[in-house]
Amino acid sequence: MKKLSLKIVTPERILLDEEVQQVSLATAQGQITVLPGHTNLIAKLAPGEVMIKQAGVAENLIAISGGLVEVLPGLVIVLADTAERAVEIDEARAEAARQRAEELRHEKLADAEEFARLTAMIEKEMTRVRVARKYKQMGIRSGHIDNK
Amino acid sequence: MQATRDIKRRIKSIQSTHKITRAMEMVSAAKMRKAVNRVMSTRAYADLTWQTVLHLARKVDTRQHPFFRETEVVKKIAIIIISTNRGLCGGFNTQLISKVRRAMTVHEQTLAMTDFISLGSKGRNEARRRGLNIVADFIKDDITVDSLVLRPVVKMITEGFVSGQYDRVLVAYTDFESTLSQKPHLKQLLPFAANIDERLGHIAHREPLDTVRIEEQVDFILEPSVREVFDSFLPRLLEVQLLQSVLESEASEHSARMMTMRNASESASEMMEELTLIYNQARQAGITAEIAEISAGAAAMAD
Repeated sequence: MKKLSLKIVTPERILLDEEVQQVSLATAQGQITVLPGHTNLIAKLAPGEVMIKQAGVAENLIAISGGLVEVLPGLVIVLADTAERAVEIDEARAEAARQRAEELRHEKLADAEEFARLTAMIEKEMTRVRVARKYKQMGIRSGHIDNK
Repeated sequence: MQATRDIKRRIKSIQSTHKITRAMEMVSAAKMRKAVNRVMSTRAYADLTWQTVLHLARKVDTRQHPFFRETEVVKKIAIIIISTNRGLCGGFNTQLISKVRRAMTVHEQTLAMTDFISLGSKGRNEARRRGLNIVADFIKDDITVDSLVLRPVVKMITEGFVSGQYDRVLVAYTDFESTLSQKPHLKQLLPFAANIDERLGHIAHREPLDTVRIEEQVDFILEPSVREVFDSFLPRLLEVQLLQSVLESEASEHSARMMTMRNASESASEMMEELTLIYNQARQAGITAEIAEISAGAAAMAD
């Protein structure tokens, strides 16, 4: 069966570089799933989750806070602003970070730039919380989690 | 006796200098390892983002975005100088400024004016001494953790470029080749070269980490629109390019300092060896003279 080579990179690190069967992403216009043979695409990503499947089984869940995806023949490149594996996220701390950001936003309504930054942060933390929860529920097998 | 005491004092003072340089060498080595790791991991992102832009530039009309705007007559140039906050790293900053000066002589032939934006205090002082026109000075962290601290710089050059104040924005940084070799380098940040200079995104000499080749005629679907992809992506790209330059400079700085300190330690050891030899000779000469005196005295008494 044909496979896709998936790279997820952030300015800080190469999070993932492996062969997968399918990958689902949240673009700015909605959820998409990329399978081998997908048409070429460059799309803006919304803060959300990246779900990777091998042999029809969900096996890796990653939270990203926006960025860009480029789909080429047999290759998917995710250029994420930040990215984290679900296992790495501490749900309680993500939740606390989200609340902190929200409180700050309430206090600092005046500054438009600051407001936008905080909103982005809240979205990011919400995604993290959501991904962490989903990961727990699904109980994705943890064989593939170790960092390469 | 006077001579030996002086020599002994000098040996001691060199010994303590040696200790200091040794310690600094080790500190720099640790910092260098960290900085090199950071620069390596950012290179992958910077290379891949740059490639995506190249793919985009082939497909769509790049004139749609101001970042690609190229003026025929370059009147004003901004150069960001990334230097260090601390000294004791050999000719690191001097070399960088010399490189900038050489580049300026080329520009000045076309009567272009140059403004400087400095990042790092040593480079600022050096640039001021040489009479370069510094318009802004940003405080550089010793270790740059993320691109957030570079936002003000990015904002300044973006506004300067988009408003037409600057026709070109360059960054002068030191390229990390290896522990032994770092080269000052000038890279164009803005405009993004529309003629697709493959090397622009990369660091001068190095092959990109991940080469993804596609055929010229490959088509893309762009979501949501060209405009939006550009708007959200290009400022980010600019930021990453600058971040990478900063990280390259930091890795270079620490390796340069480590090498300088290693050389200093080595010369200190050499000097210590030499002085010890001289000291021993002087001591031996003193003893010989004393024995000669005593035996001469004894001989006189015997007579």
